[in-house]
Amino acid sequence: MARYGMVMNVHACLGCRACMAACSQWNQTPFWAEDFKGKWRTRVTEIEEGKFPEVKRYFFPTICMHCENPPCASVCPTEATYINKDGIVLIDYDLCLGCGYCIEACPYDARYEYELEDLKKDEFYFGEDARHHQAHVDKCTFCVDRLEEGIEPSCSATCVGHARIFGDLDDPNSEVAKLVNTGKAKPLGPYMGTKPKVYYIK
Amino acid sequence: MDLVQQQIWGWNIATYLFFGGLGGATLALGILGELRFKMGKWFGILTSLLGLAILSFGLIWLVIDLINPMRFLLAFWIAGFGHSWIARGMVVINGAYIFGVLYAIAAFLEKDTFKKWMGYIAMFCGFGVTTYTGLLLNANVAIPFWHTPALPILFTVSALSTGCALLMLILAAMKSHEAEHFFHFVEGFDILLISLELLVIFAYLDFARLGNAAVMKSAHMLMANPLFTIGFVVLGLITPLILEAFASVKHSAKSLAGVASVLVLIGGFLLRYLIVWSGVFQYPHGIAS
Ligand code: SF4
Ligand code: SF4
Repeated sequence: MARYGMVMNVHACLGCRACMAACSQWNQTPFWAEDFKGKWRTRVTEIEEGKFPEVKRYFFPTICMHCENPPCASVCPTEATYINKDGIVLIDYDLCLGCGYCIEACPYDARYEYELEDLKKDEFYFGEDARHHQAHVDKCTFCVDRLEEGIEPSCSATCVGHARIFGDLDDPNSEVAKLVNTGKAKPLGPYMGTKPKVYYIK
Repeated sequence: MDLVQQQIWGWNIATYLFFGGLGGATLALGILGELRFKMGKWFGILTSLLGLAILSFGLIWLVIDLINPMRFLLAFWIAGFGHSWIARGMVVINGAYIFGVLYAIAAFLEKDTFKKWMGYIAMFCGFGVTTYTGLLLNANVAIPFWHTPALPILFTVSALSTGCALLMLILAAMKSHEAEHFFHFVEGFDILLISLELLVIFAYLDFARLGNAAVMKSAHMLMANPLFTIGFVVLGLITPLILEAFASVKHSAKSLAGVASVLVLIGGFLLRYLIVWSGVFQYPHGIAS
């Protein structure tokens, strides 16, 4: 039993999007959708703030926040969306009705539809190794399959700038727990009561 | 904070919400007419079956909206009954089917006591369906315009009003003394409902004016859309209210009430679509791409 979480150090993100590439390869998410917006389990968004000449530009990485009080699970009619023993919010694809209710309910835009065309593409690119076999709603799993083998999620493993720090929030000696407990890293939108487990240094 | 108009749900879900509410209300009000207004067994049987048919028509649109419509059977896997409004809705809808059909059978066989019991439970389920359509949207914390207790009230009142409108159209074509009596009851009830709906809409928009950026944006979108101001408020609420008020004082003016009914039905559909359309996500800054 762990309580996995992640800290995003926005200052350290170079905007290289290696995490997006690594994630989409490992998890076979629709990289064929040809944009940086729609169907990704993790996104890096370029943000520009202020007016010339005071413009601030930075990159903002996002994933599923693995909320402790996840609205996505609260609305799911079939309990396809559930929280596993390590606090990871997962979807049982066999139970997912594909109603999209969870996409509407998630306040962090973390979910997307894995549609029938995407299944075809998945098979086209990965053949026998294809991992998606039915239409469903998809999102980040903290690479639960990698964790079982003792390796960290592919995004944080790939991150060039060490902007993504993964670990067990319950282990006081872990880097994530230290950053969170000292208040350096803060959750997004805590006022919504979702209790996210992904924290940001901004 | 990033405000993004929701794109996941559109016409399909709006159609489902409209016909779901209309079906539930028709079922409940039709049974009411038979049980309390002596409308006779065939009126009860036909209106309850009509209500269920409309509900089924609505459900088709929900199924079409699934990522893979072939997986619709999973909708009966209502494991999330304790927390999900889709799951709870499925239970209420199934209840409406089961007790609605039992009521119709009992009415046909003229088993009076059994019919009454089944009728009242079916009415409860029918009303439940109307409210559920609002609660379904209500559960989305990410969309503050929907996440308000006013929405289920608005949808319930509107659904009952569309149910009244449909019954008035049916009753206007009937000649009997009982039909006349029930027609006037439904007409009066609809006047009350439309007035209430105007009040709720006003309170809703006034609440939006007072704040929360996403709610304000939703309200602005609605106020700037002629489908809402002219289509729904003027033609779908105020005009039928005036027409029905006129018709109720002039006893022979059934055609006026008929026109009002059609307007109420169109208005009800517009309302569902517009509320779904004007849902705006309120994402923490940086999330929206
Ligand atoms: S971020 Fe969204 S998808 Fe992830 S657990 Fe929270 S509500 Fe669910
Ligand atoms: S789309 Fe799937 S995971 Fe999402 S609420 Fe519906 S059944 Fe649950």
